[in-house]
Amino acid sequence: MTEYYGTGVEDIFNTMEERFLPQGAQGVDCSIGYNITGEGGGKWTLSVKNGKMGVEKIKGKFEGCAVILNAEAEAFVGLTLGKIDAADAFSSGKVKIDGDMAIIGNVLPKIFKPFTPIVKAKGIIESMPERFLSQKADGVDIKVGYEILGKDGGKWTVVVENNTCKVKSELDDDCTVVMRMDAQVFVDLNTGKIDGAEAFGSGKVTIDGDMGAAGTVAKLFTKFESQGEIKERGEEFIVKKCIPSINQRYATGPIMGKWFKGLKKKIFYGTKCPKCGRVQVLPREICAECRVRSEDFVEVGPNATVSYIDIVYYASPDPLTGKVRETPYAGLFMVLDGSSPEESFSHELNPKDIDRIKPGMKIRPVWAKERTGSYTDLMYFEIDD
Amino acid sequence: MGKRNRNVGIIGIGQTEISSHKEHQNQAEMINEAVRYALTDAEITLDQVDCVVHGNMELFEMVHQPDMWHSLGSGAYRKSQYRLTTGGTTGATLVCVADNLAASGMHDIVMAIGLEKLQEGNATGGITNTADPLWFRHLQTGALTSTSATDAIQEFGEERAKRAAMKYRIMMDKHACLNPRAHRRLGLEYDQMENLMKTSPKLVGDLQLIHMCSQSDAACVMIFASEEKAKQLSNKPVWIRDHITVHREENYNLFGLKPRESTHHYAARKLFGRNGITNPVEYFDVFEIYDPSAWWGLEWLREFLLLKHDEHLKLLENWEFDMDGKLPVNPSGGVTAGNPIGATAMLRVAEAALQVRGDAGGHQVKKGIKHALASGFGGTFWTVLTMLEKDIDWQEVNDD
Repeated sequence: MTEYYGTGVEDIFNTMEERFLPQGAQGVDCSIGYNITGEGGGKWTLSVKNGKMGVEKIKGKFEGCAVILNAEAEAFVGLTLGKIDAADAFSSGKVKIDGDMAIIGNVLPKIFKPFTPIVKAKGIIESMPERFLSQKADGVDIKVGYEILGKDGGKWTVVVENNTCKVKSELDDDCTVVMRMDAQVFVDLNTGKIDGAEAFGSGKVTIDGDMGAAGTVAKLFTKFESQGEIKERGEEFIVKKCIPSINQRYATGPIMGKWFKGLKKKIFYGTKCPKCGRVQVLPREICAECRVRSEDFVEVGPNATVSYIDIVYYASPDPLTGKVRETPYAGLFMVLDGSSPEESFSHELNPKDIDRIKPGMKIRPVWAKERTGSYTDLMYFEIDD
Repeated sequence: MGKRNRNVGIIGIGQTEISSHKEHQNQAEMINEAVRYALTDAEITLDQVDCVVHGNMELFEMVHQPDMWHSLGSGAYRKSQYRLTTGGTTGATLVCVADNLAASGMHDIVMAIGLEKLQEGNATGGITNTADPLWFRHLQTGALTSTSATDAIQEFGEERAKRAAMKYRIMMDKHACLNPRAHRRLGLEYDQMENLMKTSPKLVGDLQLIHMCSQSDAACVMIFASEEKAKQLSNKPVWIRDHITVHREENYNLFGLKPRESTHHYAARKLFGRNGITNPVEYFDVFEIYDPSAWWGLEWLREFLLLKHDEHLKLLENWEFDMDGKLPVNPSGGVTAGNPIGATAMLRVAEAALQVRGDAGGHQVKKGIKHALASGFGGTFWTVLTMLEKDIDWQEVNDD
């Protein structure tokens, strides 16, 4: 289909039924002929009667029309979308009206909602350079391939480098990541009809290559909004955005105070229950099992045995700092030497060991050079070999 | 048991559609929608409600007196109102508290409201801020872990465990597709199993995106009445038989080298013990379980139903958790199909009650439901378990 401003002539007629406003058409009884010339053109008649409408593509002559609109295809689409000025279109002769002018000028706007462009994958991808947030792309150098399948699909490569964004209508061989999906899924994702988790989770989208790059690229662009939608939704009136930031401080009490003091000296302290003998790490004020105070400190670790490993591929932003960690990273559950075997402690693994780590392995802590008695004193654990 | 002053029946249930966005209404309006459904369902007016119990995870939406703002939608203006926040269990705790308020004789008719508009908040931020601020807050990001996948793979082998988790997930989606209010209705098919295992992005270890629950917006409202009022007002009250809440210390010391009894198992053992139920799979006709992920759902079925070894896998493999199986699990689609956190655990009880009434619509279990079980889950693995009955015909067992 030939398109002008991303819209075909047929799109305008095909959406008439859904844009029709029966209320506005009460008492209207007329037929309108459309004679659209040039590529993608044709002849249509629109009949409105008793609050109902019918639109039909015809061949041959117009019959019984109160008015006939003659227009070049590009001008017709441009006029409908508001891309060209009506006065110019009429005075240049690109649009002519035979018959009752008032029907076109006064009646049509009452019986149809304005045409909003049909959102297509091509339009979304081609608008990416306009939506690009160059200030967020420092040091980002990626090529994202899109293989959009089905009707209105295509292949594109979005290249982000040196704080610029370019779109190519082909798929490069050296893409950092390629996303493959049906055109409708792509459009629905970009217009918020389905959420990312649903699309990615249900196998509707497949990702080849670096998952992390797919996440990065999403942050470099403002949300796609088709023009018509903004007008209709009036979003600014019904959504209020705010980013709260709250500073807080907490008292440790003597038990956790001892723990933090210990970190300064590279020592882990646990507390031993006087009743059941359980050694808890972190140290706790009481043994919850026995409901007695457990204030006897014992030194545990510093080495530990790995019990569980969580390799994290999907990093949610740290809400305390807003930073997103590099993925994959590994969180560890471990039992520090000398603590009870059911008491696990957790921390992170040195990224260099991620391919080798296994449950049951012995690990050792890696301490920060400057220690201040805070959680940053302990950098991570690594394999003890 | 034996501590109950009087019985309490559920006489009204209302729930909004669960969805990823509700930009057409604010929180109070969303609540109001569910309140209206529940009042209509109970065939009573707001004037007849004595007390309102309100709950959500206020840290998520960052409104610290939500009950105040919401009173316009909840109808709590000039009524006795309580606000609760207990993490993922919030909805289940709302049911417990509403039941206790009515059972104690404090109030005759109590309306409980559970809600969440996660689209307006930051669940990961909220969850992180619920952790011990001195230490775990700095390590934790959100609620994702693959420990249950690790355990299942170790115990049952990679192929059987992974197939079981995916079968469970697809079964839940099949159920969700029968429930017009469910958020995620993906239309998954069992022949997609292998493909999903390959293509669904990994989140943590063997926990994949497809296994995990969504973030959702919804409100659920339930109306509770004393036995006398319930019989007077309702043709089909659903009776609360008993519930148990089990907490543990606020510490993630769960995954050591030696397992400890889970709160789920402990709760089930105590609750069934004091009610004389020895075989929960035989006794209950439906189970609405709080299943944040397919891996957890599967593991917790074993815990809650006091099953041993691979009994839970066998039940799944033999389709016994399906709609016409021995013990249908989550006819509503469960939590993987929609997770408006403060409403989620209440939705489990509400959906179980709809099953008992026979009013669940497209996802109604065909065999008659007399005994239903619903679970809630939150925080560092604490749990709420609630038993519902069609008739007041149970034997009191005083063995607490």
